[in-house]
Amino acid sequence: MAYVELKNINKSYGDFKASDDVSFGIERGKLIGLLGPSGSGKTTILRMIAGLESPDSGEIIIDGKVVNDIPASKRGIGFVFQNYALFRYMTVFDNVAFGLKYGPYAQKDKKYIETRVNELLDLVGLSGLGKRYPSQLSGGQRQRVAFARALAPNPYLLLLDEPFAAIDAKVRQELRSWLKQIIEKLGITSIFVTHDQDEAIEVADEIIITNNGRVEQQGTPIEIYRDPQTAFTAAFFGQTGYLEDYRKFKSFEPIGEIDKAIVRPEFVKLTKKNEFQKFKTSAVEATVERVSFRGNYIEVGVESNGSHFVARRELEQELVSVGEKVDVFIYRIFVTKGDKAYLLQNSSLREESVVI
Amino acid sequence: MASAAIPVPANAEKKSSGTAVKKSVVSRTASPNLIHEDSAAAKAVRYFLIGISVLFIFVMMFLPLATVIKEALKQGWAAYKAAVTDDYTKSAIWLTIEATISALAINTVFGLFAAWAVTKFHFKGKKILTTLIDVPITVSPIIAGLIFVLVFGRQSVIYPYLKQAGIQIVYAVPGVILATVFVTFPFISRELIPVLEAQGTDEEEAAALMGANGWTIFTKVTFPHIKWAFLYGVVLCTARAMGEFGAVSVLSGHLRGKTNTLPLYVEVLFQGFEWVPAFAVSSILVIMAVVILVARNIFEHNAKTKSGGV
Repeated sequence: MAYVELKNINKSYGDFKASDDVSFGIERGKLIGLLGPSGSGKTTILRMIAGLESPDSGEIIIDGKVVNDIPASKRGIGFVFQNYALFRYMTVFDNVAFGLKYGPYAQKDKKYIETRVNELLDLVGLSGLGKRYPSQLSGGQRQRVAFARALAPNPYLLLLDEPFAAIDAKVRQELRSWLKQIIEKLGITSIFVTHDQDEAIEVADEIIITNNGRVEQQGTPIEIYRDPQTAFTAAFFGQTGYLEDYRKFKSFEPIGEIDKAIVRPEFVKLTKKNEFQKFKTSAVEATVERVSFRGNYIEVGVESNGSHFVARRELEQELVSVGEKVDVFIYRIFVTKGDKAYLLQNSSLREESVVI
Repeated sequence: MASAAIPVPANAEKKSSGTAVKKSVVSRTASPNLIHEDSAAAKAVRYFLIGISVLFIFVMMFLPLATVIKEALKQGWAAYKAAVTDDYTKSAIWLTIEATISALAINTVFGLFAAWAVTKFHFKGKKILTTLIDVPITVSPIIAGLIFVLVFGRQSVIYPYLKQAGIQIVYAVPGVILATVFVTFPFISRELIPVLEAQGTDEEEAAALMGANGWTIFTKVTFPHIKWAFLYGVVLCTARAMGEFGAVSVLSGHLRGKTNTLPLYVEVLFQGFEWVPAFAVSSILVIMAVVILVARNIFEHNAKTKSGGV
């Protein structure tokens, strides 16, 4: 049974529909990523679960109870704000201790508070910094304080709003895996909001994709990546290019009217004229438009039959240059029609398996 | 004023004093010449600006204030003392203090509430409310006084009811207080609104999510942030309340010993060619103003050294 459940949630701000019939369920102990472009309504969903906003209609159920009318202060939810919202006039220690000093989770025993705060500071690797003020910490450290502060009153549910958005790339990478480890260790049900698909893939057990106030798809990162159900998910996930007319590329069986044909770099095999191309007969010629070094791979932008898309080459492979004629073979594409997305395999792959 | 939460670079402190930065930069950089020329020009600008400011303050502030004290003491200490301890003067002092404290009390509450409402909530007519808060600053105090005379005076519709209840507002102490409250009410909220706006509501929301009630949120999270702006608002409000002339003048009726505040009494004495008493009474206002500024600085200094310099 779902631990957190949203049923037909609607929420509008004036004419803007932030949540449009949103329904989903989350299992206990899972780490969930709410992923979508800005303005897709993901933060609104998070704030409604926390009780900072109330839905116009629909039910929010946590642990079997409808919580719509329970104020934020009594829901027992930990929340990490995008900009951390640390109390700037309090020390790190007092920030973390806040939830233990005031309100329904207050502890009378000062010794307990001290032990608990120090324990949490240890957990987030900030022991010894308790006397500092937030302004004396780095972005990553503030993030950890915000995290420790949210955990202090032992919340049932932890919500994180774009937890890594304000941190520089390298630290962000470290914090991601750190956060995932800690949440797994504590076993606390958590939902985080992000617009970064890499982050969602890497951190989340399960991803919920939002767009225009609606939930597009829910599933494990690999399910969503491999098998997008909706046109939006297919285009949003991965690095996408479009084929103007997929029938001009060899060996795709026409399937009637479609809206778009989406191709991801990993669907494309790009070979130089002198290289071996296994599916030579089904490959088409393309012109290299741009070559970009991406650190651990080379990204090649190509044009073929009026379509522009991207392929990747390994660093060990021979370099291609702009203007060069190459062969591309496309393994598969996603085609979209209306809201739906379908996977289309290159038929030459099937023939091959028949031969074998 | 409250400092922003942006992390201060380690060497920022050094830069605050010009000579220190010159020394440290010269010793570390590869092209000391350039820096030196730069700082010579900077020096000239600095002295020029300081000179202008000092001159301006001397002519506009110090000279008049010194004149007040000098004129007040022209006929010796005894005459000064007599003027200051005169019964009418004493009653004017008390009325001024009474009106100032009332205005301060009312406007502190109003200012906090108004600033809180405007910055932390969304509601219809918010723009109109913020505009209305500014009215006392833009409207001439004389007109404000006249409005109150029309609202509470003999011509007013509510006058019979007020009379029946035995309440006299116009040409009485309540009128003086009302006028003072009116002209000073924007000061505290105007200081608080920008600070509260810049802060946003995240910290309050964070506190609320941890179960804190409204009072705890206000005292522990919001107030520490607006403390300095609030204090500054209080100082402005007090100073303005003590010095208010126009609106009070219309509403008071100038009854010596009854409805005369210090500024009104100064005017009365001045018009009666009683120079020494006029300046002596003025000097009381000057002293009160200085006391408030000094008190504020002491308070600010103590609080800042205690809070650990955030």
